[in-house]
Amino acid sequence: MSNFNFGSGSFCGRTRREFLWEAGAGFTSVALTGMLSSDGFFRSQAMAAEAERKFANPLAPKPSHFPGKAKSVIFLFMYGGPSQVDTFDYKPKLYELDGKTIPVKTKGRGGEKNEGRVVGPKWKFKQYGKSGQWVSELFPHLSNCVDDIAFLKSMTADSPIHGSAMLQMNSGKILSGSPALGSWVNYGLGSENENLPGFVVMLDPTGGPISGAKNWSSGYMPATYQGTIMRSKGAAVIDLNLPAGMTREMQRELLDSLQIENQQHLAARSENSELAARVASYELAYKMQQSAPEAVDLNQESEATQNLYGLNEPRTQDFGKRCLLARRLVERGVRFIQLYSGGNHNDANWDAHGDLFKNHSYHAGNTDKPIAGLIQDLKQRGLLDQTLIVWGGEFGRQPTAEYAEGTGRDHNAYGFTMWMAGGGIKGGQSYGTTDELGAAAVEHPTHVKRLHATILNQMGLDPNRLAYFYGGLDQKLVGVEHVEPIKEII
Amino acid sequence: MLQSVPAKFRILLVWGMALVMLMPTVVLAQQAETRPALPKVDFAREVQPIFAKRCFSCHGPDKSEAGLRLNKRESALAELPSGEHAVIPGDLGKSELLNRVASTEEGERMPPEGKPLTAEQVDVLRRWVAEGAKWEEYWAFQAPKKQTPPAVKNAAWITNPIDSFVLAKLEERGLSPEDPADKAALIRRAYFDLTGLPPTVAEVTAFVQDASPRAFETVVDNLLKSPRYGERWGRHWLDVVRYADTNSFERDGNKPHSWRYRDYVIRAFNDDKPYDQFVREQLAGDELPQVTNDSIIATGYYRLGLWDDEPADRLLAKFDVLDDMVATTGQVFLGLTVNCARCHDHKIDPIPQKDYYSLLAFFHGITPNGTNGPHVERQIFENDAARGQYAEKQRTLEARRNQTQVALSAIESEFRTKYDQLANVGGPAGQVDLDELEYRFYRDHWDRLPDFDNLKAETVAKLPLGKFDISPASRETDFGFVFTGILKVPADGEYTFSLDSDDGSRLTIDGKKIVEYDGIHGEGSPKLATVRLRQGRVPVRLDYFQRSNGLGLTVAWSGPGFEGRPLTPVRKNGPVRNLTEQIKTLGVKLLGDEKHREYQRLFAEMEKLKNERVSSDFALSVSEFGSQPPETFVLYRGNPTSPRDKVEPGFLSILGGGTAVVPTPAPDAKSSGRRLALANWVASPENRMTSRVMVNRIWQHHFGRGLVRSPNNFGQLGDLPTHPELLDWLAAEFINQGWHMKALHKTIMLSSTYRMSSRPSKLALEKDPVNDLFSRFEMRRLSAEELRDTIHAVNGRLNLKMYGPGIYPEISAEVLAGQSAPGSGWGKSSPEEQARRSVYIHVKRSLITPLLADFDFADTDSSCAARFATTQPTQALAMLNGDFLNTQATEFARRVKQDAADDAEKQVRLALKLALSREPEMASVERGLKLLKSLREKHQLDVDQALKYYCLLVYNLNEFVYVD
Repeated sequence: MSNFNFGSGSFCGRTRREFLWEAGAGFTSVALTGMLSSDGFFRSQAMAAEAERKFANPLAPKPSHFPGKAKSVIFLFMYGGPSQVDTFDYKPKLYELDGKTIPVKTKGRGGEKNEGRVVGPKWKFKQYGKSGQWVSELFPHLSNCVDDIAFLKSMTADSPIHGSAMLQMNSGKILSGSPALGSWVNYGLGSENENLPGFVVMLDPTGGPISGAKNWSSGYMPATYQGTIMRSKGAAVIDLNLPAGMTREMQRELLDSLQIENQQHLAARSENSELAARVASYELAYKMQQSAPEAVDLNQESEATQNLYGLNEPRTQDFGKRCLLARRLVERGVRFIQLYSGGNHNDANWDAHGDLFKNHSYHAGNTDKPIAGLIQDLKQRGLLDQTLIVWGGEFGRQPTAEYAEGTGRDHNAYGFTMWMAGGGIKGGQSYGTTDELGAAAVEHPTHVKRLHATILNQMGLDPNRLAYFYGGLDQKLVGVEHVEPIKEII
Repeated sequence: MLQSVPAKFRILLVWGMALVMLMPTVVLAQQAETRPALPKVDFAREVQPIFAKRCFSCHGPDKSEAGLRLNKRESALAELPSGEHAVIPGDLGKSELLNRVASTEEGERMPPEGKPLTAEQVDVLRRWVAEGAKWEEYWAFQAPKKQTPPAVKNAAWITNPIDSFVLAKLEERGLSPEDPADKAALIRRAYFDLTGLPPTVAEVTAFVQDASPRAFETVVDNLLKSPRYGERWGRHWLDVVRYADTNSFERDGNKPHSWRYRDYVIRAFNDDKPYDQFVREQLAGDELPQVTNDSIIATGYYRLGLWDDEPADRLLAKFDVLDDMVATTGQVFLGLTVNCARCHDHKIDPIPQKDYYSLLAFFHGITPNGTNGPHVERQIFENDAARGQYAEKQRTLEARRNQTQVALSAIESEFRTKYDQLANVGGPAGQVDLDELEYRFYRDHWDRLPDFDNLKAETVAKLPLGKFDISPASRETDFGFVFTGILKVPADGEYTFSLDSDDGSRLTIDGKKIVEYDGIHGEGSPKLATVRLRQGRVPVRLDYFQRSNGLGLTVAWSGPGFEGRPLTPVRKNGPVRNLTEQIKTLGVKLLGDEKHREYQRLFAEMEKLKNERVSSDFALSVSEFGSQPPETFVLYRGNPTSPRDKVEPGFLSILGGGTAVVPTPAPDAKSSGRRLALANWVASPENRMTSRVMVNRIWQHHFGRGLVRSPNNFGQLGDLPTHPELLDWLAAEFINQGWHMKALHKTIMLSSTYRMSSRPSKLALEKDPVNDLFSRFEMRRLSAEELRDTIHAVNGRLNLKMYGPGIYPEISAEVLAGQSAPGSGWGKSSPEEQARRSVYIHVKRSLITPLLADFDFADTDSSCAARFATTQPTQALAMLNGDFLNTQATEFARRVKQDAADDAEKQVRLALKLALSREPEMASVERGLKLLKSLREKHQLDVDQALKYYCLLVYNLNEFVYVD
């Protein structure tokens, strides 16, 4: 969607090397392997001489490292941290222990504890599908899709605190300043549709998540790769709507006049591709004004489709719209779409510190049907195989109560559940386990890094090679140590 | 690497290299045919970068696979455990390195990962071995050499030595410099460059008409005197120190008084503060022999980074903050990525891990960040008189409080005695010994009292009943309290405190620890301590934590005339009685009318005194725990729980090394003095990096790129300088003229090099495609701030008010919706305030002002050495549809209409003239008139609307946004 220029005057900030790493990704020849750390040493002169004559869009599609199963990712972010033992991680023993104080090591918002009062799961579990996956009553619709889903039941993260945990789930690091997963995917692959952003974020009406835009920031990469917020109400994208009193025809005439002036200016500076890029970017913007509203126009969908996502019911309407929008964006080649269930603070998201029953009934109830609808719809359109769906929060919750009274659970990063579907994921299975209380991962502890590695891998990107040179280092989403994708589920 | 290759052949190589990436073998063949005689290989420029970038990760300072290290000559030439030699000078056949890099067998070929070395690189290595494998230290780690400007053919072009260095290289490649820029372009360039704002048409005209040979010098002198200069160049510095006004993370809270640091930087540039002093003030302004307000404010440098106030791992978070200081200090002042040696020796540069921790040791005594309080804030005064006045006022206020308290306490005491003699009142009179009592409640698991000041409290609330009360705890295990308030001491004398708790506690009075009863234990054996106190109001603090099983806190005191009075609630006596309420109902009866009135008067007086504050200013600043910093250890793999060898504060070994000589601080010193030792070392003319790194930054912002294109990384992964001799010459010059930046600006700007046109010739484009040689000036887009400020300047709204707390431009609801609490942490400024220069905008890490973010504002989370300059449709959308631009276009139209009345031609002419700082061409004016007409007639806009949209168009012109 955006145009860099790599012309003579175009060194786009950063250091030369960083620029080249970056610029390398914009080439349409084999030289675009600049995004691979293993290339190491480019002769910048040669690169630049090449670039001089090219005018490349950094978000133009780029070949993957190897053929990827998935073309797009839909990340269903259950912000606040859903409780694993009340959703997908069935722990029969917890029901008996309800109310009893037992020794168990936990670490959450309230610090470290060595014992706690068990809060029995508030919902019954049953096995579903041919594969017999356990799902609680919270998800009557999703339970019909389990044969397409691989549950990751032994997830671990480094922080049980929202701020840093959100950053880690989104950018791999608990410190702010690194690019988001969606930025990495767009950096590695570009976008299939230049008229739409390549990394789209859709927020809950109650507000964004903690740290706001830091969660979809491109960090040390250029803003080209940052997430763009899209909506089905109001302007689809910020500044997309024409100012009051302006018509499309009028804008066209204005743009034509502008471009004439710019051509005059360019005529004496024809060697400068930066100026040409700017001219082109106005035309792209003009096209976006048409394609983005079209993409978010849900009226084009049949009533049956709308109902499948729960648009006909008040409680599922909102999240349903985001899910349906996500499918429409996938169809239009958007690489990475992140949907938030929950926003703001406390019970406006899955952060059930108070009344667990009320909180999770509310959020699961709002999202169950739309998510099941999304999976079914993608499947019936033959898109599920090329669309990777990821479900989960920044961490899970503890099996024990947080306070002296009540059912609220504190945060838990030692063991929690996420799931993936589509995009080459083997459904109908569970990977890893937690202990009998659901407090900590015991079998196949799976760090967030491995989830990220798996996502990149399914997109055809080698997580250990996809690198960006910054701050004296080849930065990678998964960090410096070698990280394996979760082979068992792919 | 290609610098020493003759120009003609070089072009071939350039293209050859591009091909090499595609088909290495083909190129090999081609080159064999075309190779002319080559000059000797330059180790530092040609060989070492290959080693660093392709070999060091396995055969470098950090690793020696197969026993081979290529970072030193001895080890590169040594016999390997296999009996082979990687390099034997002059012996091409037996130098295993050559065989391995040229091998075509997978598994045999080096490097094993990634693409093989190019044929060109292999050839360089081969020739280097053949020529005797000469070795020299990497250029940046050598001391700068004294440089004499080289001789040139076209001596007439030389204005000052800069030109000689530039022209010599151009002539070497058969190029000549571009013609000088025309005067209108030159003055616009100079204005934006030094002030970030455009010249007016009158200023341009005056300059164009000034035929004096010193006309440009006069312009430069005036611009350097303008306060706008500091606002533009200060911002470059704010980029590298990753300046922001908030902490990031969940709360992204404000840093107190951070704007004073921003103002300090602007002032420093405007005052032409010598750079060595600028360095000393930021690194050790609190430890200098002469501490000033400015030098205190400058140490805010240490507080600008990220701070997670609720980290998952506190110890790790502490070292993350220190790492941020090491990384920033290393890159900003020394141009070295010392931070790469946190977990292991630097893989590329000769920076051992020990050096990292020796550098960290300078900062180890620094107190943690905080939201406010003495750790991060320091009082500042205009001068000594102001300081004295403040102290005097403070003393007077305290004396008044004490006096009033004594009088109040006396009446209360009388009342209590009388009250306790009454029958049927259901218990004794209340006693409120603690006033202004507040608690902070924490939840976590401890075995001993933690330093609560470094932790985030879950709740903070007042305790109006004046008892250390732990009943607000939201749970029974794993929590802590800190109580702070005022102890009302009835008379001078000795007081005994009794402290009992389950689990640990500590009582502090007037800043002194009185009783400590730490650890895990039950109640039943209270600890006692006696102290002398003065009558009046004395600050008190009580820390307490509970782990598990049983809990309790019992505090009481005895003193002249009373015995065992509880400071904690005594539940068995029923609810805590409120003395104030009792006096309200029975005061008149027991004390008599007059005394009761006196009590009421004193009570009201006290309330007033409590709220009275002696106002003073504060600065965000560094502070240390005291004169003795904690010991520093090398951390194994960077893990704070795996300390290894102890280190002392010391300097980087590649820059000469050595342990810092830190004078023993006085026992009561507020800091260790270590940072001063560091500051003096960094700011010394002997430091081979400091001056080079700074002159490179200054050059960078004049020419669009540094002589070293990686301004934060002069190490081996950075870029080689395109003009190493010029860099050293400038570095020496900078020191010689007293580290003054303004003199350096002037030298640079008066050079012929700076004054060249930005229109390249065909030959220059061909031979010097990325302008490595400065064959022309580089056109550039306005920075985010320049763009926003120029929009305001052109429409007449720009408010040049300087300094002070950050301003808040209007941010649309759709952008605010991305925040977890939409709108939080974003203030409201009047339209006049919003029209101030962008450098004064409040920088909130999680909410960067959209127009600035769209146009590549600096990343705030780590040092930003050079900004991106992206071109994206989102920018076009903001410029066409955004509220800001449309509002400003309306203002622009208003101004144009005001000055050009209703004459459409004059309006168009004026709009263009204001925006472009030149007289517009007639054709352009005519097109504008045509558009205006069409907007009115075809699109039915009224005159004002049509003009507004014409003004919007002008704001979108490429010429408006780019500088020649």
